[in-house]
Amino acid sequence: MIRRNSFKAAGAACLLLFFLGLPLLGLTDYWIYTLTIGFYYALLAASWSLLVGYVGRISFAQAAMSGLGGYVSALSVIHFNLPVAGGLLLGILLAGLIGFAIGLLTLRLHGAYLGLTTIAFGEILRIAITAEHGVTEGSRGLQAPALIPGGTQLDYYYLFLAITVFSLLLMWLILRSRIGLFFQSIREDEDGAASLGVDVTLWKALAFACSSAFAGLAGGLYAHFVQLITPSMMSLQEMGFVLAMAVVGGFHNVLYAALGGVMLQSLLEALRAFGEWRLVIFGLLAILMLRFAPNGLFGMLADTLRKKGKSHG
Amino acid sequence: MAEQLAIGGLTKSFGGLVALDAIDLRIARGELVGLIGPNGSGKTTLLNIVSGYYAANDGQVRYEGRAILGWAPHQLARIGIGRSFQVTKVFRRLTLLENMLVSGLADWRESRAAATDRAMAILDDFKLTHLAHEPAANLSGGQAKLLEFARIMMLSPKLILLDEPFGGVHPELKSFMYDKVRAWNADNVTVILISHDMGSIFGLCRRVVTLSYGNIICDGTPEETRADKAVLEAYLGDQHAA
Amino acid sequence: MSLLAISEQAINGLIVSTFYALTALGLAIIFGVLRIVNFAHGELYMLGGYAYYLAVTALGVPPVLGVVIAACALMAIGALIEGLLIRPVHQGKVDRPEEYAIMVTFALSILLLNLANSVFGPWPQRPAPLFRGRVEIGELIISGDRLAAAGTAVLLISVVLLALRFTWAGRAVRAVSQNRQAAEIYGISVARVGMIAFGVGAALAGLAGALIGPVFNVTPPMGVVPVIKAYIIVVLGGLGSIPGAVVGALILGQVESFATILIPDPSRALAYKDAYGLIVLILVLLIRPQGLFGTRERRA
Repeated sequence: MIRRNSFKAAGAACLLLFFLGLPLLGLTDYWIYTLTIGFYYALLAASWSLLVGYVGRISFAQAAMSGLGGYVSALSVIHFNLPVAGGLLLGILLAGLIGFAIGLLTLRLHGAYLGLTTIAFGEILRIAITAEHGVTEGSRGLQAPALIPGGTQLDYYYLFLAITVFSLLLMWLILRSRIGLFFQSIREDEDGAASLGVDVTLWKALAFACSSAFAGLAGGLYAHFVQLITPSMMSLQEMGFVLAMAVVGGFHNVLYAALGGVMLQSLLEALRAFGEWRLVIFGLLAILMLRFAPNGLFGMLADTLRKKGKSHG
Repeated sequence: MAEQLAIGGLTKSFGGLVALDAIDLRIARGELVGLIGPNGSGKTTLLNIVSGYYAANDGQVRYEGRAILGWAPHQLARIGIGRSFQVTKVFRRLTLLENMLVSGLADWRESRAAATDRAMAILDDFKLTHLAHEPAANLSGGQAKLLEFARIMMLSPKLILLDEPFGGVHPELKSFMYDKVRAWNADNVTVILISHDMGSIFGLCRRVVTLSYGNIICDGTPEETRADKAVLEAYLGDQHAA
Repeated sequence: MSLLAISEQAINGLIVSTFYALTALGLAIIFGVLRIVNFAHGELYMLGGYAYYLAVTALGVPPVLGVVIAACALMAIGALIEGLLIRPVHQGKVDRPEEYAIMVTFALSILLLNLANSVFGPWPQRPAPLFRGRVEIGELIISGDRLAAAGTAVLLISVVLLALRFTWAGRAVRAVSQNRQAAEIYGISVARVGMIAFGVGAALAGLAGALIGPVFNVTPPMGVVPVIKAYIIVVLGGLGSIPGAVVGALILGQVESFATILIPDPSRALAYKDAYGLIVLILVLLIRPQGLFGTRERRA
């Protein structure tokens, strides 16, 4: 057991070193930009997998929550003269609050009904932001102040990496604590969990809040990085993208989902020549994973390594 | 013995179907009560209401003097009511130890280390230690029932409700489970046992309550129950209909 | 508002309702039999539109035949999807069936939408309609193509409802919807019924798309909004109630037509149009999840 834990820690450390050193290998600004966007998706995919993989509550509102965080942050900086950090915080808080509310409202819903309701909530948010173009500029796009004024691509890369790592660490701490056990017990059997003293109502709502808060953080970071956001970042197409990333990476584990995010975003850019076919390929990959490898690519990898470890004693 | 559970005028209907018809029942601390009756007589419904999963249409339930109708299941678990389910509700993708820890850690006052020690001791008692780190999905049906028992113990309950715990369990395991039930009872834990297995009812219980169509038709010792005309009619009538 | 304007709104609402109803009917059948919400339904609708477009424009086939071809093509596609992706669920080959079904159809919708984008391009196409010209009822003017499309839709809905009631296949579908295990015990091949259900459901979606194509254009994302409407209808009518879907469609059509009047500012009112149905969906699921005519499913 101890050996397995130190093995996992070593693996995580290697990954961190890899991403720390990557820009130094002579990557162009374009690729550094791509990877930075990859970290945005990593955070989004991880936050989704927290809710869907650990708590077992399906949600299609993740992209909408990200957009919410982005717009709240950008608008509060523009109109209330908050510093960007303050805007981000407000975005996180509001996304978390609305996530909590949705979590409470959807307590008695499960499976497809739950999915439908989250689609409805997400779409209403997107429609509202598009409709109120007097405030949000709607489809024309809202210009957000820069996160790091005068910052280079490298600055943003390392900031995003740092925040993503920090967030994943936070998620990991939550998930390995008793809270993580409560989350998983809810996924496995709600009635059984309740019979053992787990306040299913509270934890379901908190899970939604937590997942949405991280999504709001991602959205806020994104807004102040690309500095121009439109409601399309909240679309179901974007949601499909996040789903594919988490599924391909492995949506039962926040790290695998995060890696799936970086991987698919990089693949998206690398396969530029394929045009629209890229998303067809991603859709196909997601379907194949769901059908044949539900633990995702990195889940499969981890399982294989674990089996090899067992056979070598 | 002090009265622990007082059920008065409890009524529950599903649409037009009356599952429980103004039930009155008093159970003292430390009793081992069997709850029997033909299918559809309301046994599980009664259990579900007492453990907080169903709302009642009328009546009241008092546990240690407190009115508990309307309390959520997790709140009842925290004040000492534990239960098992007809179809086991173990957490299949969690290990046995993790299954136990959910129970123990739901009380925030206990540290993980302390809960783990307690859990391992209980698993040891149930001879499941070697499977502590296996996912519960790998358990056999009988072992899953044992795990449910073990999980309940983590709650240190004062009242345990068992819903058909011996279904499909092979005889050796069954007698092990009987011993556990007796041990609980010896510790002054009240047990209410639903079972179609008359061997377990007559072997364990000193008092048997018989339900039929939502009414209590007999409440006495196993011997009295066996001889009671109403009980025979309820069961034999059922056989005739079948 | 003048009587004429109200009538126009109402008729518009009715016409739109028929298309919604056709789509929703397909969704209702799929859910009833397979107990999954087909998130790719909008893309099946879209593919129907393209099948019609290809048949009529590229192959030069008369419109009525084009509609038939679209239906057949989508039935085949539906059966294929069911066999490859959905049947494993009922054969116990999938770990977490509920999760899987939801996510796999969602992923399928992404795949199909982008496939259409890649193959056909994003530009809107307008294939030949079933009937050109205008129909005048007193002072009311209704475009002929819309009326023809709506009329065909109503015809198809009636056929389906009658088939469900009176044909053997229809009864099998209803039996499996009500109690899968019992149906199996009585000798119904639930696997075959599942395939038929998905095929028919897909065909109905495809038919709706084929009928709408000439009226509102054929584009890859054309199914995204209608499918959400279809969900709303099916939930409103009651999941599992097939006639309920028809009633739900009527209600939604009217709600959308008239709710637009509620917000005084016309440009924003229109922008929120799609939101009204979503609000209805949420309210229904929160307050009365079994919808108007559905049956409540007992828990523990």
